[in-house]
Amino acid sequence: MLRPLLGVGMLVAALLALAGPGWGHGDELRDQPPPAKADFEPPAPGTYTLHPIMRAPSGSVVDLKGRSRRLAEFTTGKITLLSFVYTRCSDAWGCPLAYRVFDAVGAAVERSSTLRSRVRLVTLSFDPRHDTPEVMRQYAGEQASRGVDWQFLTTRSERSLLPLLAGFGQDVRTGGNGRSDETSPLTHMLKVFLIDPRGVVREIYSTAYLYPEVVLADIETLRLASASRQDARSGRAAEARVRRPSP
Amino acid sequence: MTSPARLLCASRLWLVALLAVLVSTWTPPALADETCNSPYMGNLIKAQEDYVYVWTLGVKGLGDGWDKLVTIDATPDSPRYGKVIHKVSVGGRGEAHHMGFTDDRRFLWAGGLDDSKIFVFDVGADPAKPKLVKRITDMPKKTGYVGPHTFYALPGRMLVQGLSNSKDKGGVTGMALYSNKGDLITTYAMPTTDGGDGYGYDIAINPQKNVLLTSSFTGRNNYMMELGKLVANPEAMKHFGNTMVVWDLKAMKPQKVLAVPGAPLEIRWSLKDGDNWAITASALTSKLWLVKPDASGQWQAKEVATIGDPAKIPLPVDISIRNDGTGLWVNTFMDGKTRYFDLTNPEQPRQTYEKVTGKQVNMISQSWDGSRVYISSSLLANWDKAGADNEQFVRAFKWDGKELTPVFEVDFTKEKLGRAHHMKFGSKAMKAAYRDAPLASAR
Repeated sequence: MLRPLLGVGMLVAALLALAGPGWGHGDELRDQPPPAKADFEPPAPGTYTLHPIMRAPSGSVVDLKGRSRRLAEFTTGKITLLSFVYTRCSDAWGCPLAYRVFDAVGAAVERSSTLRSRVRLVTLSFDPRHDTPEVMRQYAGEQASRGVDWQFLTTRSERSLLPLLAGFGQDVRTGGNGRSDETSPLTHMLKVFLIDPRGVVREIYSTAYLYPEVVLADIETLRLASASRQDARSGRAAEARVRRPSP
Repeated sequence: MTSPARLLCASRLWLVALLAVLVSTWTPPALADETCNSPYMGNLIKAQEDYVYVWTLGVKGLGDGWDKLVTIDATPDSPRYGKVIHKVSVGGRGEAHHMGFTDDRRFLWAGGLDDSKIFVFDVGADPAKPKLVKRITDMPKKTGYVGPHTFYALPGRMLVQGLSNSKDKGGVTGMALYSNKGDLITTYAMPTTDGGDGYGYDIAINPQKNVLLTSSFTGRNNYMMELGKLVANPEAMKHFGNTMVVWDLKAMKPQKVLAVPGAPLEIRWSLKDGDNWAITASALTSKLWLVKPDASGQWQAKEVATIGDPAKIPLPVDISIRNDGTGLWVNTFMDGKTRYFDLTNPEQPRQTYEKVTGKQVNMISQSWDGSRVYISSSLLANWDKAGADNEQFVRAFKWDGKELTPVFEVDFTKEKLGRAHHMKFGSKAMKAAYRDAPLASAR
């Protein structure tokens, strides 16, 4: 049991080693240093449990081409890392940190044959009045067209946004002028949601615990759990076939 | 590891010896203040706090007699400075005790040690007027734990430390993890092997080290017992916690049990960058303990100071650390004293100040900059002092580094509120941007 887990841990370490700051993106965040490393060795993937926290909410979003889409298209079917941001955010420990962590995680995922097709990143704006699809396209930069599945989304209006904020439990506050118009600063607590392929939130990170190596270990933990369930299902099916009498 | 079994045995003998001295009261603890909040909580109030929320035990025949959340105006230039501006009764009396904010500070969870109910107040929509938005009444049924004590925010979740269990009401207990919406996610039993006594009390996390620390107190059989009966019962007095536990936070697995005799209570991590230590006070032995890794990286607990004269049972019940880790307030219930320890060298804390701040004092909360200090009076309904010594108040002081100077007081008996217990700060700035947003994360 221990040996394969150590192997997975080494895989995560190797993936991180490959994820350097040179993995480019198309805006000013490109030149910022990579996120800090954790000051501890994360437990090996698969040695701990990520309990179901809540179901990701449903609702309507808008993609970079301005098309209305169901959020569920982006929170199911793959292991998903989702963060709310607003592009005007200048707090280094807020949205820019989320971008850089996603950048590092995305680079590692893109280079992994086992994760590349199983992981999705989602950056969702909570500032629909300012963050139009065009603004989000600029924010995405080159990421929107790279190999890793990184989606940049916004909403049509606050009416569409509110159920998503409430469903995820994401706070948004005015920056002090009491208004919430297109120019007023917004503050929020950075939260990044790790969602399993069934659309269930399995981990939530905030700034104090948002390290790429921890996120990658959690992604690997979910992948191992999913593979284990599939193995169990395959085993049961094979057993049923064996027991089935020959024609 | 030091042999916890040996220490436990020794401490039991010690506790029995204490019976002769414990003729008046001993008290359970409290936790408070801006510097003790979860590291996952955003929006720390680093300027002037506008409100002090006080989780208050109801007293039969006093006002409506129910537990309630009381809001005091703490804005110095407000015409209602130092006055009660709002109160929310919860419709019952269940031994209101502690509370804690959610990670986004929009909601305040508060618990009752007797009825094991959890109340969730919305303090984000209108911080001046908290609103009760949810009750969780099935914690014992769903978890097997009773006495929700510490409420410690994780991202999107609330970790709740129980004090006891629903089977034998003893001290063996565990933690319950809830989503911010109030749904139970899972439970974690306190360790009962490798030296663990299974008891719980406080929770404190150092995310940079992936470490969660827990401490230990006593079960419902004891904390709901009339104090005179408790101290006269040698068997009951054996049932106090003598351990702390170091957990792997990510895996939520116990890593090491530390022997800390005498009911180690509040835990405070130093918040100074680069520091890697926590401090706690043991109530029964009146000691400060330092928890930090040794040269080989192994977590150890070490006794580093004495609080008052342990022979006189001062009973340290709450501590409050400065934001730079250089000083520590300690409240001792029995002598009503508020003490300040210089923590410049955490290996050798040194008391530099003391003042009698009440006939009984329990919790102490300091502002982020340390210039304002708030003190409350009540421990538990059955353990508070009687007669004229049963003062019930919140007192506010200014601290200039040399002297605590009173600035206001709310008399909770005169105001017909009850017993003032846990305090948390509020701010006018904590309002949601989208006013029509259904702040549903806890509804």
